[in-house]
Amino acid sequence: MKSKMLVVFSCLMVAVLLLTACGKATTEPTSAPVEQATAEPVEATTEPVEATEVAASTCPLSVEDGATIVFSGWGDQTEQQIYKDSIERFKAICPNVTVDYQPIPDKFQDKLKAQMAGGTAPDVFYVDDQLMTAFASTGQLMALDDVMAEAGVSRDDFIPALLTIFTLDGKTYALPKDWSTLGLVYLPEAFTDAGIAEPADTWTWDDMRTAAKAIAAKGTYAGFCMGADWARFAPFVFSNGGDYANSDFTAGTLDTPEVKEMATFVTEMFNEKSLVRPADISASWCGEAIGKKLVAMTLEGGWMVNSMKLDYSDVVWKTALIPNGSKTRADVIFTNGIGVNASTKYPMAAAAFAIYLTGRANQGEIVKTGFAYSTHPDQIDLIGNVNDKAIAEAGLLPDTKVAYWGPYTSKLEDSVSKALERVWLGDQTVDEAFAQAQAEATTALSGQ
Amino acid sequence: MEHKNLKPGKSKSVAAGIMIFLVVVITIMLVAFMNAPTRGGAQVMASAQTYFAEVKQTALPFLVVVGLGAVILGVLAGITVYRVWPNQKKRNTLLTAYAFLTPYLLITCIFTIGVILFAFYISFTHYDIFTEPTWVGLNNYKLAFKGFTDSTQKDFVQSLHNVFWYTLLVVPIQTTLAIGMAVLLNTGVRLKNFFRTIFYAPSVTSSVVITLIFVWLYLKSGFVNNIMTNLLTPLGLNFQSVNWLGDPRGLFQLFGFTIKSSEWYLRGPSIAWMAIMVQNIFTTAPTFMIMFLAALQDINPVLYEAAAIDGANGWQQFTKITLPLLRPIILLVIVLGTIGTLQVFDQVYLATQGGPLGTSLTPVYLIYREAMGAQGPINMGYAASLAFILALIIFVFTFIQRRVLEHGTEQY
Repeated sequence: MKSKMLVVFSCLMVAVLLLTACGKATTEPTSAPVEQATAEPVEATTEPVEATEVAASTCPLSVEDGATIVFSGWGDQTEQQIYKDSIERFKAICPNVTVDYQPIPDKFQDKLKAQMAGGTAPDVFYVDDQLMTAFASTGQLMALDDVMAEAGVSRDDFIPALLTIFTLDGKTYALPKDWSTLGLVYLPEAFTDAGIAEPADTWTWDDMRTAAKAIAAKGTYAGFCMGADWARFAPFVFSNGGDYANSDFTAGTLDTPEVKEMATFVTEMFNEKSLVRPADISASWCGEAIGKKLVAMTLEGGWMVNSMKLDYSDVVWKTALIPNGSKTRADVIFTNGIGVNASTKYPMAAAAFAIYLTGRANQGEIVKTGFAYSTHPDQIDLIGNVNDKAIAEAGLLPDTKVAYWGPYTSKLEDSVSKALERVWLGDQTVDEAFAQAQAEATTALSGQ
Repeated sequence: MEHKNLKPGKSKSVAAGIMIFLVVVITIMLVAFMNAPTRGGAQVMASAQTYFAEVKQTALPFLVVVGLGAVILGVLAGITVYRVWPNQKKRNTLLTAYAFLTPYLLITCIFTIGVILFAFYISFTHYDIFTEPTWVGLNNYKLAFKGFTDSTQKDFVQSLHNVFWYTLLVVPIQTTLAIGMAVLLNTGVRLKNFFRTIFYAPSVTSSVVITLIFVWLYLKSGFVNNIMTNLLTPLGLNFQSVNWLGDPRGLFQLFGFTIKSSEWYLRGPSIAWMAIMVQNIFTTAPTFMIMFLAALQDINPVLYEAAAIDGANGWQQFTKITLPLLRPIILLVIVLGTIGTLQVFDQVYLATQGGPLGTSLTPVYLIYREAMGAQGPINMGYAASLAFILALIIFVFTFIQRRVLEHGTEQY
């Protein structure tokens, strides 16, 4: 009797387990609607007054009835609030679409790749160079060119450099949602202390170096803060007429004189101690070093403004335009976009939302909050903060380039950072280090 | 009479055998079906039909191979049941045992064995988790070791080099430390429970928390540098603050050897890497201390008494009685320690991300990087091949350790 019961019991267990295992593959994610819908009265009242946004007051596309789309992005509370407000504005013009905002503040890229493979990815989401690499060539992102044409949106509406990342084989897979570039961030009191003039927009890299030397010699503050970091090194290289890779990202250009001259320049600064790494002065990044008043100058971007407001609100700091190089003045741009899942149930609603988020009307509202710069060149004047203005100005320079060198971008970047690190360590000469970086870049860009 | 009774009994056995054969084969095939190496993505995962069509299109060879294995296993299971069936006692034992094992077996089949088979298959393919895996033969395995000849692709070779140093230094030190602490706590010192709690605290704390605390301690203006300066300066030594987690200088370079960057493998573990080792020893040693403590309680006190009467001093008692009797536990601790150190990941992920200059890159971190496509397109096939190489290395290490250490433990 007992053994029979056991057999029946075990068979039941098998059946239950199999059913649950099978069920998992098909059940939809139980997405608890996190709509807290805290309507912002401030935003709501300002919107109708905007004369320029009359054209955008209708839904950009004819959307599916009763569409519900899920939208995900990273970001802290501030960023989440900005997108909650954006969703409210979108609802006002496309009332037929329900947007379920599901922010993923941490490990966004990892999570999204897993969701995409499992078929549970959001309909609309942030796209950076990593996700662009993973999704665009594998057909997971919707090409937006047709819907853009339908909505009357042109690629020319955006700052041209920004679309570099989101374009593959001539098709647009995401629209830039915001961007930043680097400015010469400085601590005025350090210049007063050393008795020298504050940075001006006419400065060259040599002027910067002279000032850093003087301040370092005084000893109260370190001169110029920069890690062995490809991103901070990029403006040096671009302004010297160089680049990290050729224009079709098939070969590195790291052993060219344009790159090596500037590597020598920063190495000399490092050796004469007018350049310090953040770790040398116990900061986790150079912005923190400014906030803690450890250093006089550094290169940072738009994120400085909010970070300083949050952590070091009593510190007075300023920004000057990125210094001029020997060939030109150029900066590096970082940008992220909004993309649409190729297998969304409601392609028109999802595309309408992506187009609205990155469109003039919404970007104009976001830029007013001081959170991010508009991706539309004609809205650059809407930037309120004086430091933001100085940083953003470099974004429109003709030789400014976006930090993107194809699918193997981060490997290339890693090679540059490591080369600088080896040179500063005294391990290798500039020639040796950048010859090695070039070899690594060649291997990486060839796709291993 | 006998003849008549046998026949229905036999047909019952045959039926049971066939039933078991079917259950085994169907279960395995279902598991294989759910783990089939297909394209991912929403189109495929939309419904059961789309997934089935996708499996039919891309994973038939995989299913055929697994099916062969399933048939063999099913036949074996069927024969076993057929033989056992006429004997009621044996039958009941067998069925009861497997009834209890079934839930575990199913979960293992689905989430371990199925996944391992899948990973083994894709380690021979190029697979970006969205498009069909394409067969590349042994290319992934070749690529892993290409670093020996091509210095631009040395990531995996460097990660192995790092992790060998890690194992070589961490395992002996943490084992010795654990034995030392256990023996101290076993001598009946006062406040024994207090010390036990204090020693054990790092092990129960999450390694994430400890790593974050150590990141602060290791800052250039952090506690470690502060202590070193205050201790060494009075002794007349000039101590320069070190950026512990960011310093790629190797151990042998610190002794004044000049080693070229291209000969990185001669430099020994970097300062950053050794800083992580210290932290790992701090967290893991107490866990093993508890094991040794338990083993020490098992040693018969009569042995010590007899030894004392024979005139053995404390050290002799320790080396001649305690250590030999701890040998099985020492083996266990060393094996567990080796496996743990070869798989080190969280400290690296949180503290250094493989830097500086790749001196803290470990195989598991590299597997994560390749599998998640953190530096370029997702390369799940390459990541899977690295995982199998690492598993093989761990297997070989464990095997050797068992051979060397287990030899002779039986006599006690």
